Amino acid sequence: MNKTIKALILPIIIIIIWAILTTYTGIIPSYLIPSPSAVWVAFENLLMNGSLITDTISTLTRVFLGFIIAAIVAIPVGILLGWSKNADELSKYVIGVLRPIPPIAWIPFAILWFGVGLGSAIFIIFLGSVFPILINTADGVKRTDKVYTESAYTLGANQLQTLIKVVVPSALPNIITGLKVGIGIGLMCTVAAEMIGSSNGLGYLILTATSMLDSASAIVGMLTIGLIGLGFDYMFRRAERKINW
Amino acid sequence: MSFMLKNVNKKFIMKGKDLEVVKNINLSVRDGEFLTLVGPSGCGKTTILRMMAGLDFPSEGEITENGEPVTGPNTDRGFVFQQYSLFPWRTVLDNVAFGPEVRGVDTDKRYQNALNYIEMVGLTGFEDSYPHELSGGMKQRVAIARALANDPLDLLMDEPFAALDVMTRHKLQEELVKIWQEEHKTIIFVTHNVDEAVFLADRVVVLNKSPGEIIKTFQIELERVRDRTSPDFIELKKEITQLL
Repeated sequence: MNKTIKALILPIIIIIIWAILTTYTGIIPSYLIPSPSAVWVAFENLLMNGSLITDTISTLTRVFLGFIIAAIVAIPVGILLGWSKNADELSKYVIGVLRPIPPIAWIPFAILWFGVGLGSAIFIIFLGSVFPILINTADGVKRTDKVYTESAYTLGANQLQTLIKVVVPSALPNIITGLKVGIGIGLMCTVAAEMIGSSNGLGYLILTATSMLDSASAIVGMLTIGLIGLGFDYMFRRAERKINW
Repeated sequence: MSFMLKNVNKKFIMKGKDLEVVKNINLSVRDGEFLTLVGPSGCGKTTILRMMAGLDFPSEGEITENGEPVTGPNTDRGFVFQQYSLFPWRTVLDNVAFGPEVRGVDTDKRYQNALNYIEMVGLTGFEDSYPHELSGGMKQRVAIARALANDPLDLLMDEPFAALDVMTRHKLQEELVKIWQEEHKTIIFVTHNVDEAVFLADRVVVLNKSPGEIIKTFQIELERVRDRTSPDFIELKKEITQLL
């Protein structure tokens, strides 16, 4: 059986059960879970009035900006931490303590430092993305097979050449895994990020719909985020399969 | 004189205890000599080779190459590893051209040079292949070409054919002898395979097990290409095997 068709079986079953429990039997009242048809109607409305498109675009913009800044910071720092034992040991506790703090906890400081709006949102997404990229990059560098670095040295490469031409390419699969996880977590931070002074975005859509008890629209926002995540995951998985050594 | 090893000892610290791996090695290698170091696994033969390459350092004693102390890896000494060591993200051509590349040789020249060595190891047509597309024997051919592309004085080889099947192994041994005759390199070749040692070498150095010490050296005068079935060959193999 085709893999895509196989993967669609479970979602379809879930939608059928969802429809039975809500629309057809009313076992679950609509104020707890809206029916699939109500979600479809909300989807049509949001699509027609254009807000779903603009919300998706503004969320994607924030996620990309936060993610790209995170990658620009985390990849070089990760390479440094993987390469230099001193840098690794020096920063061990700082990273260890900062990493588990949920990005949402930074909101007060985000507002103080970046004001209300885009800057804060990007900062929150950055915080979500940066650590997975950093840790995976450092890990990839550390795991570089000694036979590659020793080959490089016996062939006349100096430390810097070995780092650039051997260690970094060797760590590339791990870096891509870090990017995959990083963009996923960045996306998970959008609701938190758009709590601060945003007037659009999928997180904002979910928050406003929830406050107006419009749970069908909230589900549209949630599923859109989910599908975007699926798309990113697919892209990075393809890259992982290609770059695999 | 290519290599000189004087009273070389090597100790590793294991669980707080000194572990003597190599003991009292005195050895000199002539320019252009094909020397094999043979011994059981764990006799420190790889350690000796790594120290000659500058990848490890003696605890006591000294190692010189052409009178200069060995202080680290150097392009005068090519190394071929037992494990597959090709860079998987580079094509065969870019693997072989790696040494000249890091030495700053310009693109045209280093590719031309690489193509020559690829031809020498019989892999013309595979320039654009990636290592994962090659068989084990082909990978080690590329590794040899990559080491030779730097035009080193010496080639240090650490059981490069150990993972290959017998047919491939014999084929590569013959080719290595041919390359050695054409290129006039000094080759120091580590193996635990007596047959391989006798087939290849001008001189076989036999080591015993931990700590590795030289028990005996054999000058091999048999004519090349050597016949594995000749009585002299078999007799030599027997004599060496009995020491191990």
